[in-house]
Amino acid sequence: MVLTAAARAAALRCAPVPAAVLFLAAVPALCAEPAGLTVHGRVELRRPLGTVARRPSVAELGMPPGHDVPDRSRCVVYFEVAPQGAFEPLELPRAVLDQRNQAFVPYVLAITVGTTVEFPNDDDTYHNVFSLSKARRFDLGRYPRGRSKSIRFDQAGVVRVFCELHSHMSAYILVLAHRYFAMTDAAGDYQIGAVPPGTYTLAVWRDGSVRARRTLHVPEDAAQDQNFSVD
Amino acid sequence: MRPRTRLAAALLPVGALLLAWAPNTSAIDAWDGRLRIGGELSGTISPVDRGFFNYSSYELSSLRLFRASVSAEVQPVSSLALLVELRSDNLHAPEIDALYVRFRPWPKRVFDIQAGEVPPVFGAFARRRYASAEVLPGVPLAFQYLTSLRADAVPRNADELLSQRARGWSPSYELATNSKAAGLPFMDAGRWDVGVEARAGSGPIEIAAALTQGSLSRPGASDDGGQKQLAARLAWHPSPAWTLGLSAARGEYLTGEAVARFASSHPAHQAAWGADVEYSRGHLILQGEAIWSQWELPALAAPLIAAPVSGRGGFAELRYKIAPGLTLAARGEHLSFSRVNTSAGIESWEAPVSRLEVGLKYALRPRVSLKAAFQGNWRDAGRVRQENLVSAQVLLWF
Repeated sequence: MVLTAAARAAALRCAPVPAAVLFLAAVPALCAEPAGLTVHGRVELRRPLGTVARRPSVAELGMPPGHDVPDRSRCVVYFEVAPQGAFEPLELPRAVLDQRNQAFVPYVLAITVGTTVEFPNDDDTYHNVFSLSKARRFDLGRYPRGRSKSIRFDQAGVVRVFCELHSHMSAYILVLAHRYFAMTDAAGDYQIGAVPPGTYTLAVWRDGSVRARRTLHVPEDAAQDQNFSVD
Repeated sequence: MRPRTRLAAALLPVGALLLAWAPNTSAIDAWDGRLRIGGELSGTISPVDRGFFNYSSYELSSLRLFRASVSAEVQPVSSLALLVELRSDNLHAPEIDALYVRFRPWPKRVFDIQAGEVPPVFGAFARRRYASAEVLPGVPLAFQYLTSLRADAVPRNADELLSQRARGWSPSYELATNSKAAGLPFMDAGRWDVGVEARAGSGPIEIAAALTQGSLSRPGASDDGGQKQLAARLAWHPSPAWTLGLSAARGEYLTGEAVARFASSHPAHQAAWGADVEYSRGHLILQGEAIWSQWELPALAAPLIAAPVSGRGGFAELRYKIAPGLTLAARGEHLSFSRVNTSAGIESWEAPVSRLEVGLKYALRPRVSLKAAFQGNWRDAGRVRQENLVSAQVLLWF
């Protein structure tokens, strides 16, 4: 198998990250070009996760403003070892992590390395997005409604995002070194397209950790149906 | 170092390690989010404060303090909540520091009523209750520094008042109901009043008023025989960047026993006016607060204390995030006092005090921080007139 220059560069950029995080250590010998096969399935959650609690508002003079409850049911399904060609440069990807009704939307954002994420503020109050994660430390400062700031993520890993002004606001950005991943939808369904035939390890990540792993073989002429049940 | 302090110092690294390994967690919740529990653990060390510049009404120094607090909010329905906070300082038995009911009669209107041991409506700093929201370990002078006035004693005359300048940690008067007690600050940010308060908001304007016991200097009093304080604040938020506030309060600061024995025919009120401002944008926060307070004293003997004594205090604070997780702060502050006629001439009844505090806060994790600060204190009288203190704080919260 031959790694492209971009693939080598992408792999080298990946610093060590927590065990729960996808990190591409090697690229296996696989088929050359994507054959357009699909891996799809459903992730069933054995138990719902609770809300992200607001700190008791003991020092307030009245009821604090209400806030939305983040959707913590979404999972990221991804290949731990990516097919050849996964590191081909994509066109400048961009994504949005909104701040709306004192919640980050979405709660989980999966992106590829090199993606620039916009953080618009859609609330009437200030927000102050920051992260102290090893994969990307940043602090955007306070800015009002209608303003947006952005950050480019150049290293694979998990980035935990908080608002300094609202302790109940948090979100995850999962920065992956390749494009073979998918977010589950409201029903738990996912679909990863254009997968070249080969043998892979499929992982299911939810709320900070990998909840399941499975090795699968993608043949040359059949889509794969992979269902999971995770905590 | 006393045994409790040693124990606190020993426990702090253990707590730090525990939380450093713990997952990033927000407050604990249960009952579908209707019960929320938060907590804060902080340990602050500094050399001995020989000038008592940082001692509070609890006779504790804010720079030599191990504090653990747990707060809880139970909200069975959206319009009603019960809030409580327990706090332990230097491993003493926990005390209830806040306990009140919050009620919003009309769900869509910003109008709330709170009753019990409630947060003060006066000013802004006294509601900045948590070390996690601060960069500097010190408490501003106006909210902590002990003047020579006492709640349980009165000076016989202006000479006796003057003799206690710069002795706020233990002023001594002949006419006292206790042999020893600490003096009074302008406003005690460490304790809250018992009473009822209401807050109403409309657009950028917010009004709050409270009827409580005691006074700003001596809140939370329960042995006063019904003496009340009225306090109010008007706040204006022209934009998210700005908050401007004006406050006023009037209450009786002497204990019921002191009034009965020494000042039964004299008023003994504390009246205060305050202004506060906050501006923030990007990585910068500017805060300032000013208090003007006067205390009525009985005119018992010559040379008489003819008029209420007063003091002016204030601070200006700047914070700037110089890197993710790293914040720099500086605060300048000053207290000055009115003059009284004494046998020795006209003098300010209490010694003016100034402070400059500069510090750094570094967030190891989102809810674990280290702080280090330098504090310079200057006073125009007293055994210790100038004192420099270096302090460090470890802080964990959820």
